[in-house]
Amino acid sequence: MNTMSDILLEIKDLHASVEDKEILRGINLTVRTGETHAIMGPNGAGKSTLSAVLAGKSQFTVTSGSVTFLGRDLLAMSPEERAWAGIFLSFQYPVEIPGVSINNFMKAALNQKRKAAGLPELKGAEFLKIMKEKMAAVKMDPAFAKRAMNVGFSGGEKKRCEIFQMAALEPVLSILDETDSGLDVDALKIVSDGVNALKTPSTSSIVITHYRRLLEYIVPDVVHVLKAGRIIRTGGAEIVDFIENNGYEAL
Amino acid sequence: MEGEYSLDIVLPENASLELILILLPGCGADIGIAASLTGAGASLDISSATFAAAHDRFSIRTNVAHCAPGASSNQIFKNIAVGDSRVEFAGRIKVEEGSASTEAYQQCHSLLLSDSAVVTTCPELEIYADDVKCSHGATVGRINEDELFYMRSRGIGEQVAKSLLEKSFLFEVVDKIQDESLRAQVQTKFETAFEQYPGI
Repeated sequence: MNTMSDILLEIKDLHASVEDKEILRGINLTVRTGETHAIMGPNGAGKSTLSAVLAGKSQFTVTSGSVTFLGRDLLAMSPEERAWAGIFLSFQYPVEIPGVSINNFMKAALNQKRKAAGLPELKGAEFLKIMKEKMAAVKMDPAFAKRAMNVGFSGGEKKRCEIFQMAALEPVLSILDETDSGLDVDALKIVSDGVNALKTPSTSSIVITHYRRLLEYIVPDVVHVLKAGRIIRTGGAEIVDFIENNGYEAL
Repeated sequence: MEGEYSLDIVLPENASLELILILLPGCGADIGIAASLTGAGASLDISSATFAAAHDRFSIRTNVAHCAPGASSNQIFKNIAVGDSRVEFAGRIKVEEGSASTEAYQQCHSLLLSDSAVVTTCPELEIYADDVKCSHGATVGRINEDELFYMRSRGIGEQVAKSLLEKSFLFEVVDKIQDESLRAQVQTKFETAFEQYPGI
């Protein structure tokens, strides 16, 4: 049985705005260790705003409510502190970073996380081993390591690179923001196989999606429907079927 | 060291020149480069990396004339300005009559890392021939917030992320230096400059 100590993330009455427009209007959500949650909703419901607020994007202003992650006040933490604490956001639109190779990017990301945990920097050979293993885990061509982050990557390659970073950074809570958008079936399968392979009893995920398709590959324990900035339904897989047959308007 | 430097370049048939300009803080300069591509198939490649800090004044003027068919020129200028520094860039490309199949490109990109630094760019294209490929692009801006947030969300601290982005901005030019020990020397100089003059 789950107990209070299993609570990983607790969102209480969260309100957030962008440029004075309220997008999130009282979100309540509890994620326990080992759970996979799906958040579904129509366009404009606030799905991406929720993921951006959890990752700490400064364009959004939290006007009230609280978010606790592993007992800490998440909203008081910088984006990098959230990453060090174990949060990972897979972007709907991964950002291209010209001039910074995946190698240099990952070296900085891994070593900064280690530094925050009081660990020494990785030795060259240790770093290369992680890169090799994690790229292989998502079937990514090792030649990508020398390329600038996401620059000139196809949609599928960008999403695969997100999951590779997730594998290497070993987060406690992964938030996948519309990871399925722009993916063909093969790419979707590779990405979701990667996500499923990374699942452990001590990690959790929030899968944000508009469509049922991704949830056939990544099976959620709990499904939420987000509409107009609020969670209007919470339940199991039957909600996914209902939406598929009747649309969001029927809810 | 402050100073005026001028360079006159003439490139005859099939001649090629690759020029890399490195401008470090504390040595404000006025640089004029005039190049004429007078022979068919000549090619010119200019790359420049400037780090302007404190009260540095850099002025860079280029004047590239295409006077023969089938010649190509490619110019890229990258500037970082911090403190109260000032960088002026004026780049003129002229494609003379009869210089068919010319390819001439020019780009000037600047990063402003303080509120009081100033960068001005003035590209100019004059084309009197048909069948030419010419373009110029200029940007002046700050560190891209989306890039910064992406890196921070992966656990790269703000200062480290900024420094990686700033270095990669200039190192696109530095990486073109073929001589390994010279390239390492220039990298070290820029790294020292980044440490000495952190931006906002």
